[in-house]
Amino acid sequence: MKMVEAIVKPFKLDEIKDALTKTGIQGMTVGEVKGFGRQKGHTELYRGAEYSVDFLPKVKIQILVPDEKAAQVVEAIVQGARTGKIGDGKIFVTPVEEVIRIRTGERGADAI
Amino acid sequence: MKREKFRRRCLSLFTGLGMILFTTWCFAEEAAAPAGGSEPAKAEAPAAAPAAPAAAAAPAPAPKPDPGGIVTGDRSNVIDAGGNSFLVSEPTDKSDPDYAKKRKEFEEFQAQAAKEPLTLRLADTVGRVRIATNFTWTLITGYLVLFMQAGFALLTCGLVRKKNAAHLMMLNFAAYVFAFLAYYACGFAFQFGAVAVNAAPFNLGGTPTLNQFLLGSGQWGFLGGKGFFLSGAGYDVGSNALTLFEVVFMETAGYIIVGAICERITFWGFVLCELFVGALVYPIFGCWVWGGGWLSQLGATMNFGHGYVDFAGSTVVHAVGGFTAMALAVILGPRIGKYGADGKPRPFPAHNIAFVVIGTFILLFGWMGFNPGSTLGSSDLRISVIAVNTNLAAVAASATAMIFWYFMFGKPDISMACNGMLAGLVAITAPCAFVSPNSAVVIGILAGILVCLGVLFNERVIKVDDPCGAISVHGYCGWLGAVSVGIFADGTYGSGWNGVGATTYLGNAGQGVTGLLYGDVSQFFMQLGGATLCGIYAFGFTYVVFKIVNAIVPLRVDKEAELEGLDIPEFGMLAYPEDAVTEVR
Repeated sequence: MKMVEAIVKPFKLDEIKDALTKTGIQGMTVGEVKGFGRQKGHTELYRGAEYSVDFLPKVKIQILVPDEKAAQVVEAIVQGARTGKIGDGKIFVTPVEEVIRIRTGERGADAI
Repeated sequence: MKREKFRRRCLSLFTGLGMILFTTWCFAEEAAAPAGGSEPAKAEAPAAAPAAPAAAAAPAPAPKPDPGGIVTGDRSNVIDAGGNSFLVSEPTDKSDPDYAKKRKEFEEFQAQAAKEPLTLRLADTVGRVRIATNFTWTLITGYLVLFMQAGFALLTCGLVRKKNAAHLMMLNFAAYVFAFLAYYACGFAFQFGAVAVNAAPFNLGGTPTLNQFLLGSGQWGFLGGKGFFLSGAGYDVGSNALTLFEVVFMETAGYIIVGAICERITFWGFVLCELFVGALVYPIFGCWVWGGGWLSQLGATMNFGHGYVDFAGSTVVHAVGGFTAMALAVILGPRIGKYGADGKPRPFPAHNIAFVVIGTFILLFGWMGFNPGSTLGSSDLRISVIAVNTNLAAVAASATAMIFWYFMFGKPDISMACNGMLAGLVAITAPCAFVSPNSAVVIGILAGILVCLGVLFNERVIKVDDPCGAISVHGYCGWLGAVSVGIFADGTYGSGWNGVGATTYLGNAGQGVTGLLYGDVSQFFMQLGGATLCGIYAFGFTYVVFKIVNAIVPLRVDKEAELEGLDIPEFGMLAYPEDAVTEVR
């Protein structure tokens, strides 16, 4: 099992979700996060005084998938999230040791 | 902790006891008034004579207030479009060269009236209806001004950080409550105790019951002296129509200070500021300009134009509020973190721009009561020009502020566009009745530039921390408004203003308040001096009083509270409780 985590631009979320549903995933978790990458923040003016926005708003997606599906899911996210401009985000794929469905107590691949 | 509790209980008890004692005293006064009716009459006689020339006839009976509203509004209130009375009064001054002519006119009128008694009875009804129309206008515009409270609350709350939002709302709310009580207790009497509108029964009718200065007399009055707790002379329908209208004006000055002192003042310190505004700083200057005081009479006494003219309160309301706010902001000092170690200002961005814009629109709407309502009567048809001028200045100033900001910094700042609109409104408040629509646009443009420069000047040069721009909007632009009366007034309105030029002015019959561009230099200097005096007075008075108060008990919250946000330390609740992880049992 693999955990696919992606940090993407918030306005791309719908497209990514559509692309992911087509791959047949069972579920996903989404959260609003803030941060910076290589693009860093930017400066703005408020009533004539300059201030910097260090942490930009992003959306973080988490999807748990069987090993064989990971590549397909990653590809779907890339398709959905890419604008070609700086700040498109990153995807992390990590192995998962154990999964438990709380309601039934099922474990492993059955619990995905 | 124990001491803190003791102090709290003592303060609450004292305040409560004080209020009960005052009210009891008022009732006692009121109960005594009808019985000892002759006693106030003695006090009035000498003061009334110089104040109202018409009442010069020697031992006239003391005017009685009309709390029932039964006698206010009769044939004496019937006037034509030119301001001429339907009644012809009996000439008393035998040395007048026109005495014989006036005498004849009077006698002819009397003969006519004797032949047609029905006409006089009809005139009583016409007068009553005219006064009733004006009451309606004055009260409804007063309610519009009252609604500005909501606008100020939204505007200032939106402009501060989220952690202080509840505190800001409470300040705006408490401003209304406490300043109102102070104004009721003594503010109204200080401001209008000598020459209220019912002492000059022009638009609101009634008899001159508020007719005594506490300090000064005649044309050199400094403080009104009748109508404390709205009892006795202040318990009158005409007087109370004015009270409602004026109390909401005073409240406007009360909210203005919120914008400059928020995010760091303690609640009790703020309540003290509001009592000070409602009881002293606002009414005193108000008396000088609107209560028949010395500044308004300088035209009659020293030939300075029409005296100091401020139609709806650019200085009386706004500059007083703005400069009081400035003194308090100087005493409090900037918010923690406002200026970095390098001395450069750091912004604390507004937490809700939607509030700011809605608040500004509500204020614009309320201003349609503020300015046109200041005629105190819809029988004065200038109200349409005033309403148009007010709007024009607002949009011109807002456009100017947007363009200025775009030119300087590349993007129009939304909060500054709103400040710009308010600046235009503040600046047109004094001249709105006296200028043409074109002049209103020019005044708006000047205000739009001044407000931007003022905000930058406060923030970068003198480093007075003003979170909502109140000092620049209300202080600086209020000053500009009063001065622009002296420049742009075109003489079409205000003939006989402050008792100057009732028949002719500058050689023309019916010439009203006139500015520099239309040939009256003295009016310009009067306005410049008066507006500047207003700034110095409000700043100086407030600075001295609150420097002392601050030395005894600090006005500023402690550092931890300020960093955490004032909502919880001061009131124990958040504006947005979902921001905190809370447990509901």
